[in-house]
Amino acid sequence: MQIRYLIISFLILVFTGVHAQGLKLTATASSSQVPTGEQFEVAFSINGEGDRFMPPSFSAFQVLSGPNVSSSTTIINGDFSASNSYSYILMPVKEGNYTIKSASIVSGGKLLKSNTLKITVVKGKPAPRAGASDNQGDNQLPSQQKLPKNTELLFLKARVDKTNVYAGEQISLDYKLYTLVSLVGNELDKLPELNGFWSQDINKNRQSTDWKTEVYNGHQYNSAAIKETILFPQRSGKLIIDPLAMTFVARQPVASNDIFDQYFGSFEEVKHRLKSKPITINVKPLPSAGKPRNFSGAVGKFSIAGYIDKGEIKANEAINYTFKVSGDGNINLLGKLDLNFPKDFDKYDPKITDSLTETVNGISGTRTYTYLLIPRHEGNYTLDPVSFTYFNPSAGKYVGLKTKAFSLKVNKGEVGANATVLPGEQEDVELLSKDISYIKTRDLTVYKKGEGFYNSVWFYLLLCAGPLAAAGAFSYKNRAETFNSDPVKVKSRRAVKIASKHMAAAQKQLGANNTKAFYDEVFKGLYTYLSDKLNLPYSQLDKDIIAGKLRSKAIDEPLVVQLLETLNQCEMARFAPVSSRLETQVLNQSKSIITGIEQKL
Amino acid sequence: MNKSFSMLKRFAFTLLSLIILPLLSRANNNIQALFEQGNRLYSSSKYKEAAAAYRQILEQEFQSPEVYFNLGNAYYKAGEIPYAILYYEKARKLAPADEDINLNLRIANLKTADKIEPVPEFFLGRWWQNIFTSLSVNTWAALGVLFVLLASGLLILYRFSLKVGVKKASFFSSIVFFVAGSIAVSFAAVQLNYFNKHQQAIVFSGAVSGKSEPQLSSKTLFVIHSGTKVQLLEKESNWLKIRLANGNEGWINLADVKEI
Repeated sequence: MQIRYLIISFLILVFTGVHAQGLKLTATASSSQVPTGEQFEVAFSINGEGDRFMPPSFSAFQVLSGPNVSSSTTIINGDFSASNSYSYILMPVKEGNYTIKSASIVSGGKLLKSNTLKITVVKGKPAPRAGASDNQGDNQLPSQQKLPKNTELLFLKARVDKTNVYAGEQISLDYKLYTLVSLVGNELDKLPELNGFWSQDINKNRQSTDWKTEVYNGHQYNSAAIKETILFPQRSGKLIIDPLAMTFVARQPVASNDIFDQYFGSFEEVKHRLKSKPITINVKPLPSAGKPRNFSGAVGKFSIAGYIDKGEIKANEAINYTFKVSGDGNINLLGKLDLNFPKDFDKYDPKITDSLTETVNGISGTRTYTYLLIPRHEGNYTLDPVSFTYFNPSAGKYVGLKTKAFSLKVNKGEVGANATVLPGEQEDVELLSKDISYIKTRDLTVYKKGEGFYNSVWFYLLLCAGPLAAAGAFSYKNRAETFNSDPVKVKSRRAVKIASKHMAAAQKQLGANNTKAFYDEVFKGLYTYLSDKLNLPYSQLDKDIIAGKLRSKAIDEPLVVQLLETLNQCEMARFAPVSSRLETQVLNQSKSIITGIEQKL
Repeated sequence: MNKSFSMLKRFAFTLLSLIILPLLSRANNNIQALFEQGNRLYSSSKYKEAAAAYRQILEQEFQSPEVYFNLGNAYYKAGEIPYAILYYEKARKLAPADEDINLNLRIANLKTADKIEPVPEFFLGRWWQNIFTSLSVNTWAALGVLFVLLASGLLILYRFSLKVGVKKASFFSSIVFFVAGSIAVSFAAVQLNYFNKHQQAIVFSGAVSGKSEPQLSSKTLFVIHSGTKVQLLEKESNWLKIRLANGNEGWINLADVKEI
């Protein structure tokens, strides 16, 4: 101290007289209104050199430090100017209005007096306790950082990239620490529970904290990500992201009365319990309009690919069907796919391989489903196209994708390779789905309404036709039977027929000029006719009996006479030939006799 | 038994188509052309147009199980299930034993909103109904006519035959055929009577309230939905008394249903 004063005195001596004019001692205060317990500075400065500085009494204040003497020398264009200042750090004890009286200094043999200062002391906050965990101790800040009130020394901030999402849409969440002080330790108090979300931490295995400088609220903070997570909301509604709670131990500078400490800094370790603010996420349900039945729950943006490793195999050999879904979104939440393979293929649960990258921007990558298929029977098969539907949240609609269909030729397998199929094992023909039968294209039967066959005229006609025909046939048969039942009547009916037969034979004999045979036939004809007609046995056939019978049946007398005549003629002619002219007459006569009797009987 | 029955059925159908139907089928060229046009439209998946073509046939007061069936199919494919059920039921009335019709009707009924457990019927009644509805009215009638004709023929043979064996056989078979013929004809009559007594209808309005009385203000007993089949019991001005398959009865508005 003495050395400093000597140097200053020397310098003052050197420049004394050069600028002795206009010397002034000025008193300034850092603020004229000070709360109790707050520090303020009062400085007395002289634009030259002075000696024997006499401070006023600071009776109403507590002197925390001072006088702190400083001096400066400026040379501008060869003009020297020097200034000295004496400053005090004061702290008011009681509120009230105070006047700091003049200080005096001797300079160039003259006594200089400073102005007086009016200080108003107001009621201030109680003096902060050292080591308090709240973040509002402005006075604990290092002097080079003057911060306004309510500026946080360090805090945790949770941040999401969006707050209005669809269910299943990915959200990137990170918790960041911002600090103005250096940290010596930390401790995790509570991890967020993230109820209603499926979460995936990213950069979990990071070794060192990646500090960055970031300006926040006009202050330069050091920031570091504590935890980065990708979230997939699992249900709709208002979901709350819980706060993350951590305790940090900060090394903070503290104010000290020791001037030495002020130079090199005095620190203490302060515990800070920090908690981030909860965030509310509004999760919209996936629209039900246009939601396909086979929707697998994929939300994001995807592309698909499918392929088989062989196009032609033998029965009982294995093929691999690979189905790939790639893109951004909840790819690792995809459920089982509903793939339709031909019925008699043996199929196994797919092998699922994921190759995913998790970044702050979300999860992206490829999920590969590998199905092992074993066709059991030869034939040409088609592997149906696989359809995959996802929800595109940015477009707000469902997108359907389809792979190609693959044709697969299965040749007959090796004999004996069928070991897995038991002999005689039969498969039921399974009804795969139900659909209506196809339309009828043939055999159109169409008729006007009310014109069905039943109750139609044709119906009744045909229905009656059978019984009527039967009845007709019966009556006919009955009549025919009664007709033929009496042999006398039958004989009598047949008499004409037999007679006419004889007559025809007689005609023939006549043509052959065989007179004897002719009369034989006519005679036979007449006699059999009469025997049949009159029911007389041949033995009784006598002209008188015949005549009597005929008369009793009321045959006309001329006819009977004619008959007897003809019979006589015939008898005679059988033994004595007659001229051929008579023969024709006899034939005609006997014919007319038969007709005549026939008419009467 | 079943096999012989189906053979009999086929025989009856053949007879029907060979002898009797040519008398009835007035399938003139216009109808046939409309039918084929409808079939073409249907096969190219133009179901609404196909339905329009089939309807043109029906508008000329014709009826045909095939046209009803195809129209039902067209409505089914066009998504109009109540109409599909209505026309399947109409087709079934004309051809009760057609398996395609019954299958499609069952499938279409699966698409309706109401699942009504039918009242368990006494098994004899069900058998009886199954028997007399196993063939259409016209087929029964044709069978009856055929049997009676056969029986008459056999009776004539009996009367005229001289051999005792033939006489015996023809007499008894004639009796059998007479009995069979009268049964067939009476089945036709019973079936017609059954359908006339059991007038059924399909609900066409989305939701219909079954009321306790034929008044809007009366109590709602049940609610049925489109496509449901109901039995018509009574009519009173604009109201119909209906019975559901589960036995519930109620009054609904005339405009809500279409009669089969």
